[in-house]
Amino acid sequence: MMGPVADPITPSDAAPAPVARVAFPSVQWFEALGQRMHDQRDHFAKIGDMDCTMQLTLYDASPAGQPWRCQVEFEGTDVVDVREVGEGDEERADFVIETDLDTWREMVDNIVANGGRPDLDHTLNRLSLPGVPIRLWGVDPVRRDAYYRFNQSLQHYVNNAAAFGTRWPGDADEAPLPAPDGPAARA
Amino acid sequence: MTATESRVKDLPIILPEPSEATSGEQVEQATEEWVEKFRGYYDQWGTLLQQNLDRLSRGSYSLHWLDTEHTHWGTRVQPSSRGLTAADIDRPKVYGTLPEHTEWRNFAPRGSARDLYKDAMPVIEGYDVLDKSHLWADNVNTLYEEAKVRQWNSTTDIPWSELEPVSEELEKAACQLSTFLTEVEFVAGDFPSRWVWRTAPDFFEVNNFLTTQMVDEARHMEVFRKRAMAGAGGLMHPSPAFEWALKAILESPTHSQGTFLLNVLGEGLVLSIFRAGEFLSKTHVDKEIFRLCMQDEARHVSYGTLEFKAYLDAAADRERALADMHRFADIGEQIILTALSEPALLESVAVLMGGSVAEIDEGMEGVGFLWSTIVEEYLQRCDRAGFSRRDRCTIPLEFPWAA
Repeated sequence: MMGPVADPITPSDAAPAPVARVAFPSVQWFEALGQRMHDQRDHFAKIGDMDCTMQLTLYDASPAGQPWRCQVEFEGTDVVDVREVGEGDEERADFVIETDLDTWREMVDNIVANGGRPDLDHTLNRLSLPGVPIRLWGVDPVRRDAYYRFNQSLQHYVNNAAAFGTRWPGDADEAPLPAPDGPAARA
Repeated sequence: MTATESRVKDLPIILPEPSEATSGEQVEQATEEWVEKFRGYYDQWGTLLQQNLDRLSRGSYSLHWLDTEHTHWGTRVQPSSRGLTAADIDRPKVYGTLPEHTEWRNFAPRGSARDLYKDAMPVIEGYDVLDKSHLWADNVNTLYEEAKVRQWNSTTDIPWSELEPVSEELEKAACQLSTFLTEVEFVAGDFPSRWVWRTAPDFFEVNNFLTTQMVDEARHMEVFRKRAMAGAGGLMHPSPAFEWALKAILESPTHSQGTFLLNVLGEGLVLSIFRAGEFLSKTHVDKEIFRLCMQDEARHVSYGTLEFKAYLDAAADRERALADMHRFADIGEQIILTALSEPALLESVAVLMGGSVAEIDEGMEGVGFLWSTIVEEYLQRCDRAGFSRRDRCTIPLEFPWAA
């Protein structure tokens, strides 16, 4: 759980510090995206406020290979809460995106490889079209449509994965990444 | 006759010479009718004018507007974390309670001391949508705020310089799809405009949202017209099949029926096409266009779904309202199907999905997925509104394509 995202972790006028890898899946990983979102408030304000709660369900991502579920609550240009949830909590989310760990990892790797902008085949919306690996659903079709209404903001939120390293299940607990040259580009 | 009255009655009618560039006789006749009409109202507005001029000539003041007895003076509205929103100013009941039916057919603001002036007010005959049930949706204030902060500019927010050349047949398909979307966006803007000017200002929240829809649709028309031209292709074939569907939307007998046909069914269809645009896009430029349009379109669909629900919930005779809507939907779905089955739409989408004309069959499989999504999401939204069409939908649930 986290409250409203507070001061930036890395003030923008400080020298770039080595970037720690953040474990995935974890609440901290989505909070780290929220911190970058907070740091880019002007950019996200230009795209427009976003008020919705997203749930990500990964079918196979818990240590025991069971589903792992996380809800991210957006308000305006901030992430105000990230929480791990259990089965049956979907009512608290406007929409649910479900996939497996490999699909999510491929998407993030693609975002990183392209400097913060995925190629044409690895956007959230592209991957969640019918018949492709991410399933989109919601208990209420009007609330589910928030995924469409805020899709650009959601994409830019996820694109910030390029701004820090991700430690995937099975990765060695290695040294942090070197400091990036500059802010990640965006889609 | 007072001096003022004489002055008005003696005003010369000065009309410009009819020009060939305008319908001169029509302008002359309309002007004459307008002058006569407002001369006819002189007893009402002329009295006000005379009183005002008399007061000015005496050097005296009225200061009646300082009297707060019939106002809600002292009611403070509080901004929320986002600022002072449309929902915030509707929070005090004295300002935020909408009438189920209004007789205020003028511009006097809801919540003002307007009762004092009721007998002196003009009637705007054009305002003939006077029932909340034909307009309201519980999410309209939220969507209005959202629309204001999520505007974009097709001139500067699309990276036009990154538009990469594709094969001629793919460019033709992209231009054909853009032509279709240009065509449909006209009606999506014109339909709300047809009702905004008929809607009594007591329902300004709805009008405010509908004006954002009009701006959104103008921008969509603009961006797809630009897209057709930006790749050195151009506008392609309009379609009579589209046009009949658009005519049916524009000429819907009531706002709620038209909103069902446009926002729930029609824009739901277009929303799915925009969504599939991520799949169809061969360049980041196209992807950005579709993503931004998708966001706007989803607002319109959300309004339509909850407006339709509110209409049915408020119906005095719900069974009759449902029967009327089913009757309307039976033919409405078939007219929209006429557009949805148009080859200029389906085939251009299939070529974009397949990657070439030679691979159109593969693309049609993707169109089949898209078709199923369109129909299923439409039925979900109908369910949400309390209008089950699952046993009665006249659009084939599966893509009627024999490969």
